[in-house]
Order: sequence, then structure tokens, then C-alpha cells
Amino acid sequence: MNRVWMLITIAFGNALRGIRRASTTSLLAVLTIAVVLVLVGSAALLVDNMSGILDEFGAELRLTAYLEADLDEAGQRDLVERVGAAPGVDSVALVTKQAALERFERIAGGAELLVGLEENPLPASLEILLLPEARSGEAIAVLEESLTGLPGIEELAHGQEWIEGYARAVSLARGVATGIGVVLGLAALLIVANTIRLAVYARRDELDILALVGASRTFVRVPFLLEGILQGLLGGAIALLIVWGAYELLLPQVRFGFSLVLGRADLRFFTMGESIRLVVSGAGLGLLGSFAALVGIRSEG
Amino acid sequence: MRRRAVSTTGEPPVRMYHVSKSYIAGQYALHDVSLEVRRGEFVFLTGSSGAGKTTLLELVFAAEQPSEGQILVLGRNVARLGAGAIPALRRRVGVVFQDFKLLQDRTVEENVRLALDVVGTPRRDARSRVFQLLKSVGLQHRRFHHPLSLSGGEQQRVALARALVNEPEILLADEPTGNLDPDLTIEIMDLIVSASTRGTTVIVATHDHGLIERYGKRVLRLEGGQIAEDNPAVGASLGAEP
Repeated sequence: MNRVWMLITIAFGNALRGIRRASTTSLLAVLTIAVVLVLVGSAALLVDNMSGILDEFGAELRLTAYLEADLDEAGQRDLVERVGAAPGVDSVALVTKQAALERFERIAGGAELLVGLEENPLPASLEILLLPEARSGEAIAVLEESLTGLPGIEELAHGQEWIEGYARAVSLARGVATGIGVVLGLAALLIVANTIRLAVYARRDELDILALVGASRTFVRVPFLLEGILQGLLGGAIALLIVWGAYELLLPQVRFGFSLVLGRADLRFFTMGESIRLVVSGAGLGLLGSFAALVGIRSEG
Repeated sequence: MRRRAVSTTGEPPVRMYHVSKSYIAGQYALHDVSLEVRRGEFVFLTGSSGAGKTTLLELVFAAEQPSEGQILVLGRNVARLGAGAIPALRRRVGVVFQDFKLLQDRTVEENVRLALDVVGTPRRDARSRVFQLLKSVGLQHRRFHHPLSLSGGEQQRVALARALVNEPEILLADEPTGNLDPDLTIEIMDLIVSASTRGTTVIVATHDHGLIERYGKRVLRLEGGQIAEDNPAVGASLGAEP
């Protein structure tokens, strides 16, 4: 067994001993991390699901370009290609005059409204779907400007208000989630740092004795940092279980609420990667908390 | 037997030049102290409470830095020692206190092994070394006990074993027998004296005059933070001299 491995083993042993010795304080740190991560995790899950639903709505955002009546088929095909190459455009579908008529009849339940007209009055059009990054008022205005100059396009139409409302909702949801995350994260860091600082002070005698026998700063501090990581991992795992339990328990009601407000409710829990990230962020919180707690504590006697 | 990391320069392991230590401006715990302690020498540091005995020992193991003057310990200037270099110096200096300073949640063996763990001694070597040390202080049969189940004398022997397990070049003891009855006092002092006969430089702070007379070693008497007397060893010993 080489020296480094020996020192790692000793550090882990000391960390576990420290947790056992100050079990109440350790439990407090674990629970603090768990509570914070339950709040952060729940907020993230909520925003993620809202975002997902809004993204689905966003996928249906479209611009409609009505074509000039005298544009022939070749001109229409050429226009499809040119519009498809414009920035921010996901896909372009051509709706011919005939297809527009059929769609109208389907929606209106018959062709009675058009009886008496000598020819099909509905224009051919292009339905332009947008890429996610182009689903904002500004991006659409830019796209609109570039399309307006194209020969063959008579008029552009879109639901500007709906587009802007959508963009506002997404950015608000993300902003609120980020704000909640930052505030809770900082609060957790302070609480965890103070909890671990208490644990450090409760073990002053051990620190003094270690300093007395010539322990290096690293030898003294690494077990405390490992303690923070272990407590954080445990807190993160508990938080994940609680969030998952709450999700499963509240799913029917939440799904009903979402479908009532938004008309749909394709909800999902964290992926495996996201779950691991939540637990690991607990470890990070514990590590940072321990680090902050050790700042300013003398360990060289 | 492990090879002791003894410096080969032949210089006295402890040298102080006009050292003062002041915690409050204008008030000295130690004032203008100059002294040398030779390799393997045994020195009693005596004086009334507040005379500066503990401060002097703290300066030697770099728990404090001098306000004025220079201290050379094992060739290192304590006044200029950075925080990162202090542990390396302390591994060459064993320290024993009146209150033992043992970790109550660890066994006797683990307490002694602590000094070997911090230098990364392989576990098997450490166990064998700890067993030898505990045997030399008569506590090998108590190695799996916790300190609270031991008597005061036994706890001090554990502390002494911990201080000696790294074969330090200097052993400092601050009132090591202050909490012990007379029989145990002699037992502990005999162990400390036997460490000095193996080449370890020993400084023992005590106000027990009986002890000082019994062993007849060099005596440094401090008064008001200054050296009031420096009496050489008389050579007459009633204790465990070789």
C-alpha cells in the first residue's frame, strides 16, 4: 500500500469517524442540504415541465406567406427553396390553392359558402415553421423583413401577440427558476457552512492534537471536506427520493392542473443524468460548505 | 529499529538569542532570553506560575512566534518559519502536556498511531512500532482500551508513547506530572529520563522542586519572563539514570 493510498484511507476513516462522532450536527447538515435540494429540485422540475410544454406550443408557431395569384408552379417551388434557406426557418410547406380550398371545406363543413364564385378565391401559401431560437418577436421581425422583398410573396401573416406572449412566458419561467436557484443555493451554502463550522469547533481538541503531532494542513482539512461531500451526497439522495415521491403522489393533480390551464400535460420526471446531477450538486454544496467553514480556522496550532 | 532523522551538524538543537514574547504591548511573557540546550541534554525549566515556562516551550515547538529575537530549533529559525513548514518541524519534536491531550473516541493504539499516520507510515509498520512503544511504557495489554478507562498515570504514559513514537530529536514536557500522585510521577519521569539517555534532548517544565532535586539535572529558573538562574547538572541522581 503506497503512502498516498494510505493517507486517502486515513482521511476517509477520519471523515466517517467525524460523522459518527458529531452525528447530530452531521444529521443537521444532511437535512439542510436535503431541504434545499428538494426546493431547488422541485422548482427545476416544475420549470422544466412548463418549459417543455411551452416548447411544444412554440413548435407550432408559424408564419404564413400568401403567394401572388399569377405565380406558377415552378415559381412556387423556387420560393419554397429560397424561404427554406432563410435564417431561423425550420421547414416550409406549400399549400396550393386546391389544398387551401380542401382545408377550408373541411373546416367549414362544406363548400356552401363558396357557391356562386366562378373560381377558387383562396390564395396559395407557404407555411413557415420556425427554429426554437427564432421564436421571438425580434427574430421574426428580421425574418419578415428578409421575406418581404422576395418576388412572389404578396403578404405575410403571423400571430405576433401570441409569439411575444410565448417568448415572455418562457423567459419569465427561466428567470424565476434561476433566481430561486441562486437564492436557495446561497442560503444553503451559508447554512451548511455554519453547520459544518459548528462541527469543526466541536472538534477543536482533535485539530489541536493533530497540529501537535505535525499533521499538515491538508491532512487536517481533507477529512472535513470529505465529510461535507458525504453529507452532501446523502442529502442529495434524500432530496431526490422526496422529489420523486412527491412527483408520483401529486402527478394526477398536477397533470389535471396543467391540462386545465395549458390544454395539455405531457409531464416527465428527471432523466437519469439529471437525477445524478441533483445528487452530485448536493455533494458540491457540502464541499463548498465545508470549504467555507474551514476558511480562517487555524490548523497549525 | 528505524533510523532516527538526526541532523548531523552537531549544533545545539535549541538556541535562543535575546528572545522576547509579548501578548500585550509593553507586557512581556518572556523578555530577552538567551540560551542553548545541547543534544541529548536534560533540562528542567522551573519558576512560579506565569514565569514564562509554557511560553518558552510553545516557542520551541512553534505554537508561538517570538516578538523579538531569534530561535533556532533543529537548525530552523522559528521566527521565519512559514505555516507550511511548521508540521515538518513538529514531527521532530515530541510534546507532552499536563492534561494528556488524548482523543477520547480513539483507542490507546490509535492515539499513539496518530503521530505515525500524519507522516503516512504504512499501517503494518505503524502497528508494530506502536506495540513496541506501548510495551516500553508497560501498556501493551491496554492498547485496545479507550483513554477514559485508564488511570491518570496510564493516560500520561500513552501521551508519552505518542510523543516518542516518531523518535523525536527533542521532547518537551509541560508539567507532565502535575496531575499525578508521587509514585506515578516517578514512573513517568523515569520514562522521560530514559528517553534522554537514548539521545533525545529533553526540556521539562515543572514547579516540583522535589523532582528537580531527585534527578539533579540542569535547571533553568524563570522569573518574570527572564532567566533568573541557570544551574548545570550536578550528576548526582537518585532516579533512573543509566
